[in-house]
Amino acid sequence: MPVFFEANKDMLIFTGAAAVKILVFLNAIMGFTALLTLAERKVSALIQDRIGPNRASVFGLTLNGLFHPVADGIKMVFKEDFTPGRAEKLLFTLAPFFALVPVLALFALIPFGDYIMISGYRLDLQIADLPLGLFFVLALSGLAIYGVFLGGWASKNNFALLGAMRGAAQMVSYEVVLGLTLVGLMMIYGSAGLQDMVRAQGKLLFGFIPAWGVVCQPFAFILFLTAAIAENKRTPFDLVEGESEIIGYFMEYSSMRFAAFMFAEFLEIILVSMLAATLFFGGWQVPYLHETGFIFPGGALLPVNHYLVAALQTGAFAAKTVAFSWFLLVVRWTLPRFRFDQMMGLCWKTLLPLALLNILMTGAVMLALGKI
Amino acid sequence: MILAASIYFFAALAAAATLLMVFQRNPVKAALLMLTALLSTAGLYLAFNAQLLAVLQIILYAGAIMTLFIIALTVTPQAWRDRPSPGRARLVLGLAAAALILAELLKVSAGLRQLALSPGFAETGALALARELFGRFAFQFELLSLVILASIVGAVTLAAKKGG
Repeated sequence: MPVFFEANKDMLIFTGAAAVKILVFLNAIMGFTALLTLAERKVSALIQDRIGPNRASVFGLTLNGLFHPVADGIKMVFKEDFTPGRAEKLLFTLAPFFALVPVLALFALIPFGDYIMISGYRLDLQIADLPLGLFFVLALSGLAIYGVFLGGWASKNNFALLGAMRGAAQMVSYEVVLGLTLVGLMMIYGSAGLQDMVRAQGKLLFGFIPAWGVVCQPFAFILFLTAAIAENKRTPFDLVEGESEIIGYFMEYSSMRFAAFMFAEFLEIILVSMLAATLFFGGWQVPYLHETGFIFPGGALLPVNHYLVAALQTGAFAAKTVAFSWFLLVVRWTLPRFRFDQMMGLCWKTLLPLALLNILMTGAVMLALGKI
Repeated sequence: MILAASIYFFAALAAAATLLMVFQRNPVKAALLMLTALLSTAGLYLAFNAQLLAVLQIILYAGAIMTLFIIALTVTPQAWRDRPSPGRARLVLGLAAAALILAELLKVSAGLRQLALSPGFAETGALALARELFGRFAFQFELLSLVILASIVGAVTLAAKKGG
């Protein structure tokens, strides 16, 4: 047995490290999602001048409503799990998984830190560093449509099917824009790997401005954020399902299957926040922080311990993610809903030409600067 | 070993899904089985280290084309009930035709065994492919998009009702 361990040491360490990374990152995301469901209600309460949920208590301890996600979870588990008589049983059961799995798989591509050295081994803080990461993001987010559509069709309910049709039309349309806004980024970073893109954003423009995506591609950032909110099916684009007014594709779902759809939506908020941070706000980059410490524009040095650097970078990534998630929650409770024709018009007549224009301009500027 | 296992797994999945698709009596479920076959083919490409091909397979076929297929199929009346099985005579004729095509395919594919595997089938192939497409074959490539556009316009004209 020791011979086997000795011979396959590298592979075993790689597998173990990957398992640990998946466990830690996935649990962090799941915990954050649970808190986000509470944050959504608290932000709406804040904006509507209410107090918000604050009654769930453990032995009289309420902590201003911190136990509400737990109470919601327990409630969802114990609710009746109902399947309509005419529904396609297998597909009806599979649809929530179709909604959840692509979103969860996408988190594997997000770099949440640079790397740490542990007893001579280099541990990259990313689960899967694929050279074509950005293409995988587009491919997997394209598969998320099937969750919506199967949920609507397998229920064998006309309202659910109409909701699914709206959802599919919206997601297919905005996915085109989403893909095109990212082309400009691939052009300036010269790579489609997300870790490479974040590393490229560590450079400085004119010696003092961090070369973040939002500085190089401000136009693409606005387009990306709009398309991403629409892809996420949240207000102002929540024509697929509006909790109290619009019957959506998961109207026949109850209990944990319904919760899976809601969970996927909250996971998508985090995913969009992480992608926006990774692609446009430097990911785990802290301005002026390099592998050995801070190097300020004036030339001043401040050496920092390697583990502290890694902690600062991962912390910066977490802070950026939380900030974007908060922004998405505030957008939801601030803007009114579009009409369906307005939403489709915005996509095909405004965002799509602008995204194409952005690619053209990026190419022209790169040609003028002699970067090609 | 893991590589060989994944290749056999995805190949078997693709074959099984395709067979089930052929014998499926509901068009939407058949389309979903076709989606399974396409996705397992993408997995097969990944196992062969052709990442770009796998990603394009998912984006174009699974993400775009199959979505449109399935959306179009669900609004047809056939999607809401299973098609009745065909008569015995049609079944025998269909199986005979399938056997004929299979025999023909096996005969043709016998020659493929002698072909040597090309080792440079990795992601660097994407760059070479792009150079060819946008360099040497740029004109033909652009011409192809016009052909597709013409076919779309033709399809719309054929499908549109007169005076509607």
